[in-house]
Amino acid sequence: MSGARISFREVSKSYGERQVLDRISLEVEPSEFLVFLGPSGCGKTTLLRLVNGLAEADSGAVEVDGREVGDWDPVELRRGIGYAIQGVGLLPHLSVSANVGLVPRLLGWRLERRRRRAAEMLRLVGLDPAEFGARRPAALSGGQRQRVGVARALAADPPVLLMDEPFGAVDPIRRRSLQEEFRALARDLRKTVLFVTHDVAEAFRLADRIAVVADGGIRQAGPPDEIRAAPADDFVRRLVADAPPPAAA
Amino acid sequence: MDFLLARWPEILSATLEHLGLVFVSVGAAVALAVPAGLAATRFPRLARPVLGFAGTVQTVPSLALFGLLIPLPLVGGIGSRIAVVALILYALLPILRSTVTGVQQVDPAILDAADGMGMTGWQRLKWVEAPLALPSIFSGVRIATVVGVGLVTIAAAVGAGGLGSLIFRGLTMLDTRLILAGAVPSAALALAADGGLALLESRLSGARRAEGSP
Repeated sequence: MSGARISFREVSKSYGERQVLDRISLEVEPSEFLVFLGPSGCGKTTLLRLVNGLAEADSGAVEVDGREVGDWDPVELRRGIGYAIQGVGLLPHLSVSANVGLVPRLLGWRLERRRRRAAEMLRLVGLDPAEFGARRPAALSGGQRQRVGVARALAADPPVLLMDEPFGAVDPIRRRSLQEEFRALARDLRKTVLFVTHDVAEAFRLADRIAVVADGGIRQAGPPDEIRAAPADDFVRRLVADAPPPAAA
Repeated sequence: MDFLLARWPEILSATLEHLGLVFVSVGAAVALAVPAGLAATRFPRLARPVLGFAGTVQTVPSLALFGLLIPLPLVGGIGSRIAVVALILYALLPILRSTVTGVQQVDPAILDAADGMGMTGWQRLKWVEAPLALPSIFSGVRIATVVGVGLVTIAAAVGAGGLGSLIFRGLTMLDTRLILAGAVPSAALALAADGGLALLESRLSGARRAEGSP
């Protein structure tokens, strides 16, 4: 399935005294690859959680496919959204294959189809299904677990993907090739991707558009070239100093 | 030795009776406490009164609890029935508590992922929380069983039968051999139950870790 439109309208959110998001507005086009880039604790993760209804805005609205998140049946909404988180959250008592096949299972796919799909997704993230499929998550390295988490998010072919630092624990070499494969895949399948990272190089490599987030607000949003050429303020300029040259993007 | 041989059938049947009482009561307590514990994690408002009740029962001395139960209609009277009721009441707390703790200890990242992939509350309970809480629940069952073996021994005072009846008879007849014929097997039973369940428990959680190792 190809992507859906996602809109943030004047969204604010506080946890207790601390305001993490302050009147954020942003339109994400269907099939756009948007990267939220910013330091940790700047509210990026919350932005993702507003989209699948794991967090609720204090004011303002988030819309997915023309409908406010609060108006969706949360279960239906989430099954159409692939979600990969930093902590991965694989089920330790299920095999790697069963973990990848979880959302398909929730959707009622037959076992045979789930198996085939899980194997396909594992190959996609560079894990041999014959070697890794039957293992428990505890028998994988941190980076391998993250890749399984990404495979799981993709398994049911959801139109929207929310990726929260999904490659943080992957070793640098593997990370680079995963980024490229993931970018190509998201383009080919025309997914709407919201991708959170604090890694500037990663953001510039992946994004159609980057939204620089700091202190609860979006400092600048635009295509990587534009941000590189015309940083909106000092904060963005300092970030961009770490960005790879255009040729590497 | 002659004594043991002569009393052997009696000791064996008392042991079996003892075990039967423990199994029935712990089984019933599991059937009550595990669902109640899971419900308490779903509805936090339930947790406090449920655990509070079980905790209060736990603090009542066992003989006093028997005394309180005897005059009650239905459950009361003399015999194995009130032993079973008392034992169930005692077993509730460890199993309830271990169920609640087991669910509460599940890694929040796992719950987050489960919610994020669109599990309903029931699916999350069935596929994530209950299986991950299992080792903890099991340790509660183990405690309940060991406590139960001891409690059934005392329950002989209210006519429940089991190995305790040999001890009490030995006490009134000042017959040390008879006392030991009840005391040694019941101590052995408690140790065996604890050891056996501990073994099962480590298999249970060990299987989880070892199964995937390369």
